[in-house]
Amino acid sequence: MSTVIPTMRHVRGFDVVRPLSIGMLVFMMLPLVFLPLLSIFIFGTSNGLDKFWAALTAPEAVFALKLSMATSFWATMFNVLFGLFAAYVLSRHNFWGRNALIVTISLPTAIPTAVAGFALLLLWGPYGTLGRFLAPQGIQVMFTAGAIILANIFVTFPLAFGVIKPVFDTMSRSLEEASATIGATRWQTFWHVTLPSLRGAIVSGALLTFARAVGEFGSTILVSGNLAGHTQTAPLYIFAKFNEGQIEAANAIAIVLALFSFLIFSVLFFARDWLDVD
Amino acid sequence: MKAKEKLIEEHKVPVPPPTASQKATSVVGVSKRFGKTSVLEDITFDVAEGEALVLLGASGSGKTTILRIIAGLEQPYTGKVILHGREVTELPARERGVGVIFQSYALFPKMTVEKNIGYGLRIRKRKRKEIRETVNELLTLVQLEEHRKKYPSQLSGGQQQRVAIARTLAYKPEVLLFDEPFGALDTQTRHHLRREIRALLRKVNVPAIFITHDQEEALELGDRVAVLNKGHLEQIGTPYEIYNRPATEYVATFLGAANILEAVVRKSALEFGKTRIAANLDPEKFKDGTCVKIVFRPEDVSLSKTEFVKPGHHKISAAVVEEISFVGAYERVRLRLEKNGREECTTDDQFFLTTDTPESQSFKSIVATHPKPEASAMKLRVGERVVVAITSFTVLPS
Repeated sequence: MSTVIPTMRHVRGFDVVRPLSIGMLVFMMLPLVFLPLLSIFIFGTSNGLDKFWAALTAPEAVFALKLSMATSFWATMFNVLFGLFAAYVLSRHNFWGRNALIVTISLPTAIPTAVAGFALLLLWGPYGTLGRFLAPQGIQVMFTAGAIILANIFVTFPLAFGVIKPVFDTMSRSLEEASATIGATRWQTFWHVTLPSLRGAIVSGALLTFARAVGEFGSTILVSGNLAGHTQTAPLYIFAKFNEGQIEAANAIAIVLALFSFLIFSVLFFARDWLDVD
Repeated sequence: MKAKEKLIEEHKVPVPPPTASQKATSVVGVSKRFGKTSVLEDITFDVAEGEALVLLGASGSGKTTILRIIAGLEQPYTGKVILHGREVTELPARERGVGVIFQSYALFPKMTVEKNIGYGLRIRKRKRKEIRETVNELLTLVQLEEHRKKYPSQLSGGQQQRVAIARTLAYKPEVLLFDEPFGALDTQTRHHLRREIRALLRKVNVPAIFITHDQEEALELGDRVAVLNKGHLEQIGTPYEIYNRPATEYVATFLGAANILEAVVRKSALEFGKTRIAANLDPEKFKDGTCVKIVFRPEDVSLSKTEFVKPGHHKISAAVVEEISFVGAYERVRLRLEKNGREECTTDDQFFLTTDTPESQSFKSIVATHPKPEASAMKLRVGERVVVAITSFTVLPS
C-alpha cells in the first residue's frame, strides 16, 4: 500500500486530498447554509405552487415587499450620494480630524442594529431629544416609512462610502488636473472624468447597500411600529406571520427575499469585469 | 562623448533671445514657498514662438513647480506668468489654454483615443463636424488612425504620449508643457520618441517647455536649456553655451563630467603652482589676486608623451596615469597631476577623501577622455608619465 498510493498520485496525477477536501467543504456547508436555504424552497412550495402564489399576492405581503423596496431604494440613493460626497471630501482634502471622521462614518456597521433603532427612537421619538419639539407641531418621524428609511440609512451608512473611497484614493490626481488644463470646469471634470472611473464602485456600492437595507430587521422593528399594511417591511412581515403561525405566508416572502439576494450577489460577482471595465 | 559633440554641433547657430513681440511665454520674478520652505526664488525666463526650452534640474530643484505654476495648477508666491502678452497669473488652469503632457500622460481611461483627443473641443461645445475633422487631422498627424477606437490601456507608452500631445493640440494651446516626458520609458524608446517629438513640434510650431533631469535629453531637445538648482535659475542658454561655457560650477558639473582646478589671477593670466595660462579675462570681474576655478571637460584634455604641446593648447603639468577604462566610443583616463610649487587658492579638504594619504593629497586627479583612434595610437599604460594640456576651458569665480 505504502508504495501504491504515491505511485498513483504521481503517475496518474491523482491527489486524494483534492476530492476529500472539496467534499469536506461541501459537507460542512450543508447544514450551515445549503439545507436552511433549500428548506425555504421545499417547504414554501410543498403545498403546491398555487398556495405559494396566493400567499405571495396577499395584499399585506405585496405591501410589505413594496415598502421594503421603496424604503431601501431611498436609503440607497441617499447613501450612494452621501458616500460619493464623503469619499470625495475625505480623499481630496487632508485636515485635522479626518481620520476621526472616517472612523465615525464606518462605525454604524459595528453597532448592533437594535441599538441603532433604539438610538433613533431616543432622538426622534415623541419623547426624544428632537422629537419632543416636533411632536407638538404635529410632525411625527418615528413609526412611519420615513423612520424606516432613517433606520436603513443608519445601518447601511458606510457601505457605499467604503466601496467608493478606495477608488477615489487610487485615482490619479493628474487625470483631474489634465482635464482642468484642457479647459474643463470642475463640474465637467467630475462628470466626464471622475464619475466614469467611479461607475463600477457606485454600482457595487449601491447593490450592497440595497441588499443590506432590504433585509434590515433589528432597527426597523423598533422604529417602524410594525403596523401591517402601513409600516411593515418584508422581514417584519416574515416575523409577524411566523409568530401568528402562518408559516406559508412567511415562507413565500422568505423565498422572494432569498431569490432577490441571490440576484444581487450574482450581479456583483459576475458583472465584476463589466463594472471595472476600462 | 563623440555623439554628444555631434549633437551640439547642430545647435551651434545660437538662437537669439526672444524679443518682446516674439515672446510666447514669460515667467517673471516667480517665487514659490510651501509652508516655510522656499522652492523657487525669483525665476525669470522667456520662451519664443516655436521655441523649445528645457528646464533641467535634479529632483527637488523646483522644475516641476515652475511647470505647474505656468499651467495654473499651482499659484506663485510672487511674480507673474504671461502667455502671448496676456497676464494669466490669477487665472485658473482651465482659462489659460496651455497644454500639459503629464508624465503619466493622464489619458482618460474610459474614453477611446478619439474621445480623448476630442475632449477639449467637446467641453468647448464645438460643432460635431468640426470636432470630427480636427480629431481626424490630429490622428493623422500623430499617426494613430488605426487606433482611434482603442482605449488608452490598449496602447504602448509612446502611442499614449502621442494621444496626450494630440489631445492638447486639439484646442491650439498657447504653449506645450512636458513633464518628464520620457521618464517612464526604456532607453531605446526614449531616444526614438525624442526625435519624433522634435519633428512634431517643428511641424506644429507651438512653443514648448520640457522638464527633465536627464542632461543628454536636455541638450538634444532644447533650443535653449535652463539649468535649475535648488529653486535658483543657474544659467539659461543654448545647449552649446550651457555645455561649453557654463556660468557656474553647478552647471559645469551637472551637464556631464567636468574637471575643476583652482588658480589665482596674476596679470590677466591664471596661475597655479608654476603653471601659467594666458587667458582673456574680464579685468572688472577677475581682479589680480582673486581665486578662480578653471573648468574643463574631459574631452578638452590633450595628453602627450613628450614635453611638446600643440600650439593653442595650454600646458598644465605633468601627470601620472592612474586608471584607464574603456567606455565604448572612447577611452577614459584618470590622471594624477604632479604638484609643482605652492598653490595659493587650493582648499584641500573639499577635493580629497580623508582616507587619502598626505602624500596623495598633494596631487589632484583629473579625468581625460579621448576617442578610440587616438587612444590606440598612444597606447597609454597605468603608471606612465604624460604631459597634460587643455584645449579649452572656462573660468569661474571661486
